[in-house]
Amino acid sequence: MSNTLKTYIAAVRATLTAAMCLENFASQHVERHNKPEVEARATPEVLLTPVVISRNENEKVLIEGSVNSVRVSIKIKQADEIERILCHKFTRFMMMRAESFVILRRKPVEGYDISFLITNFHTEQMYKHKLVDFIIQFMEEVDKEISEMKISLNARARIVAESYLLQFP
Amino acid sequence: MILLDSYNKIIESTLRDAFESEQPETINVTAADFDGVTYTIVTPDKTRPNEIVVSMHMGCYPELQRYGADDMLRKEYDSLLHSVGSGGDSSADVVLKIDSKALPEDKESVVKKVAHLKRNALAAPFERAFNAQIAGESSELMTVNYRDEEIFFVQAQADRVTVIFSTTFKDETDRIFGKVFLQEFVDARRQPSIQNAPQVLYSPREPPLELRGVAGLRDSENIAYVTFVLFPRHFATEELRRDAISRIQMFRDYLHYHIKCSKAYMHSRMRARVDSFLKVLNRAKPEKPDDQKEKKTASGRTFKMR
Repeated sequence: MSNTLKTYIAAVRATLTAAMCLENFASQHVERHNKPEVEARATPEVLLTPVVISRNENEKVLIEGSVNSVRVSIKIKQADEIERILCHKFTRFMMMRAESFVILRRKPVEGYDISFLITNFHTEQMYKHKLVDFIIQFMEEVDKEISEMKISLNARARIVAESYLLQFP
Repeated sequence: MILLDSYNKIIESTLRDAFESEQPETINVTAADFDGVTYTIVTPDKTRPNEIVVSMHMGCYPELQRYGADDMLRKEYDSLLHSVGSGGDSSADVVLKIDSKALPEDKESVVKKVAHLKRNALAAPFERAFNAQIAGESSELMTVNYRDEEIFFVQAQADRVTVIFSTTFKDETDRIFGKVFLQEFVDARRQPSIQNAPQVLYSPREPPLELRGVAGLRDSENIAYVTFVLFPRHFATEELRRDAISRIQMFRDYLHYHIKCSKAYMHSRMRARVDSFLKVLNRAKPEKPDDQKEKKTASGRTFKMR
């Protein structure tokens, strides 16, 4: 199970590093405006082919590139109801703090759980390899965090039930 | 603090302070308890602050009266009981009058007794069911609408007493957490140390067999039915009985309290995780080169960059 994880992560890392070659591009439709072209989608010639890297049908990463911005959308593995609720809460928690996160998008792309938007301004201010590291680490830690929360919920439920029933002699 | 107490802490501390103080003072306290029950503790006569009036408002009291709550309270509170039911001079359901100058030796027991007022009122259907079961007869299905959309049923049968709670989860997340918790209650019996506890059954939306045919049951995704089966050994002695009643009454509040606690725990975990992500992200920002960095002296004054 974990050997697919390594190749999956390696593929995502290579694609991200390649896609994150961004340079400044002023909007060709509105004077003096500078928009992330992957969001505006007004000029077809600067948009690159989107790439989907799937580990299985429940986990995939969509990377859409353009000349001055990259949009990375992640679908997190959610096996059952509990994981779905936990994942939903966690991503909503993060997206509400998108301002401090800088590269996070406030709404995920259709069909995915969370999206990042990285523009040339971000790559000018931050190290590119560290940005890629961050996204990879994020993917690994979110899975870990959700399963940890599920385990702690089950443990808590067991303790609560035991304490209540142990009261009866 | 995993377990909830069956008595009201506010009444306990107010009365204890009143009884232990040298000079009786005027009291005017309004307190709330679980399940929409409110109390008022006042000293109505300013010239005689030793007379304390404790009144309780409980929405389901008329139903409890049908199951013998009045007699139960009379037996328990004896001379302290002033009036029951909203026929008397106040709108409250139960009124107790206490004279802090004329207390028996054991003041603590009076404090504890009054703090258990709600528990004692709600104990009526249980006592009736236990008595019926011990006598070998089965009783009617007793219904108490103790909360807005939630009901509990008590019924005695030949060899057991069944208590069924119908609880509503107002939130989607609550519902799913509740499912996990209630499933654990059912499964806890597998453990050898819990073999003797009452049996718990859980049904997510369908009412259990005992309730088939009861009118007025709402049908929605958010409703769950939890059944407790109490065997005679659970209420064999006076003390066991008292404990069993107190604990079963607090079940619904206990469950929802722990659901909310685990939601709060999840939030604090997520907050910590988001903070750690932010730290990692900030590592991606390079340090400013030396000539652009702001320099400060030891006492905190900043050099101005030219």
